[in-house]
Amino acid sequence: MKSLIVIAVCVGAFIAAPLFIVVPMSFSNAPSFQFPPPGYWLGYYEQYFTDYHWTIPTANSFIIATATMLLTMALVVPAAFGLARNRFFGRSLVNYLIMAPLMVPHIVVALAYYLFFGPLHLTGTHLGVILAHTCLSVPVAFLIVTATLKGFDRNLERAAMSLGAGPMATFFYVTLPVLRPGFLVGALFAFLHSFDETTVAIFIAGGTAATLPRKMFEAIRLESDPVIAVVSTLLLGLVLAGTVISVFVRQRNEKKATMYAD
Amino acid sequence: MRRPLVRAWMLVAPVMVFLAVTFLFPLLEIFVLSVSGTNHWADAYVEFFTTDFYNIILLRTFGIAFFVTVFCLLLAYPLAYVIVRVGGGLGFGLLLIVAMSFWTSFLVRIFAWLVILGNRGPVVGVLEWFAPGDAPEVLFTRFSVVIGLVHGMIPFMVMAIYASMRKIDPNNLRAAASLGATPLQGFRHVFLPLSLPGVVNGCTLVFIICAGFYVTPVLLGGAQDQMIAGLIGQQIEELLEWEAASAMAMVLLFAILVLYALYNRFVGLDKLWG
Repeated sequence: MKSLIVIAVCVGAFIAAPLFIVVPMSFSNAPSFQFPPPGYWLGYYEQYFTDYHWTIPTANSFIIATATMLLTMALVVPAAFGLARNRFFGRSLVNYLIMAPLMVPHIVVALAYYLFFGPLHLTGTHLGVILAHTCLSVPVAFLIVTATLKGFDRNLERAAMSLGAGPMATFFYVTLPVLRPGFLVGALFAFLHSFDETTVAIFIAGGTAATLPRKMFEAIRLESDPVIAVVSTLLLGLVLAGTVISVFVRQRNEKKATMYAD
Repeated sequence: MRRPLVRAWMLVAPVMVFLAVTFLFPLLEIFVLSVSGTNHWADAYVEFFTTDFYNIILLRTFGIAFFVTVFCLLLAYPLAYVIVRVGGGLGFGLLLIVAMSFWTSFLVRIFAWLVILGNRGPVVGVLEWFAPGDAPEVLFTRFSVVIGLVHGMIPFMVMAIYASMRKIDPNNLRAAASLGATPLQGFRHVFLPLSLPGVVNGCTLVFIICAGFYVTPVLLGGAQDQMIAGLIGQQIEELLEWEAASAMAMVLLFAILVLYALYNRFVGLDKLWG
């Protein structure tokens, strides 16, 4: 067991160490990628926050991810209700179609959109990227929303109706509040899926609709732009904060659950 | 039609229409393009399968995906085992590291490897120290592609194995021990078989994602390390060969759908993303 623990810690270090190397890199004053850094300054942070080559893609990513999230949820929530609560002919086919975008490699999707959007003048527009990202986010959000629905006890709705609540009141006062946390997680996944998506964005998000991952890809491949270290550090900070918050929330919920159990 | 049925279809219709127009139709379009050669409908496919250069890239793609899957499994299994069986602060810490890596953009991780393996990075620095003047190139080689992909895919593998290991009731192992099994025998005959569904899941996911992955080989590999996704990208960006690109995309898609079909036949597709 001792040697296993040593192996596991080594693998853990292999996973974690490269993530944190970007932090000292972001304070480096070297004009290219160099480690250890020859000296330190904050110039690249200033450049990231002021240079429109970086600020516009960052804003685009937030806009596109938010729109993708809203559109995805608008499509997924009704579909999940329809599929979870009804048995009908063609149901499994519908299920396969909704999951299909998860199964097709992104490079194939990228090629398809490149050719499809071209004649429609959607390449390099926000709308094009939003449509493409919504397709890719639908299966992810669908999995989570469906899992939430499966855990829902419909007797709660029957109880509300038996006490005189109409279908709308039942939905908004009983069903939705119970399911809301699951829906929010689904929405968050849709947002992150779009915010992180790289391959399709590289091919269709040109010009004014460039997203942050696309800009990062170019910064690495074409320019060796050191600002990439700043972006990486900020993204890593967000992930770290998100992980800590989710652990904190889970512990609080568990405490609550045990309180109710007592 | 019965009323509830109409309602169900009305709820499902928007997403169906959306996916039909913005997903199925574009895919159908590249399929049609791939079979519309000027001389013969299958020109692009014939060209692809008779050109050594393309065949080598196809074989290389599956070769690299295979090795990355094996390496991921070898590293992830002990890690998941310690997370589940040792647990406590150590297990929790390791699980957090995996989760963090999972949520960190691929580009951030690729950038990190560019720095680590690059000419002015620590690895080459150490190599220079041992062999001044003729340290081997590390970046833009097969080695850097594989290490970048393994690092990128390992969270998927750990998550899949962890999910199935967590469901194993420790009482099974106690029962085995009480019947005289040594810890190793208990692992071999009880724990390992029960964890296999997670292993199969993880390997399937990692292999499939790897085989179609674009960013890592393009950024960390040299010309000799390109995989089929990179080839498709090159046809789009530089050569503007839509027909060839479409045929390659169809070959890749077909290979991956065969894998999904096999998985569905033996395990059941609904368990893959469980």
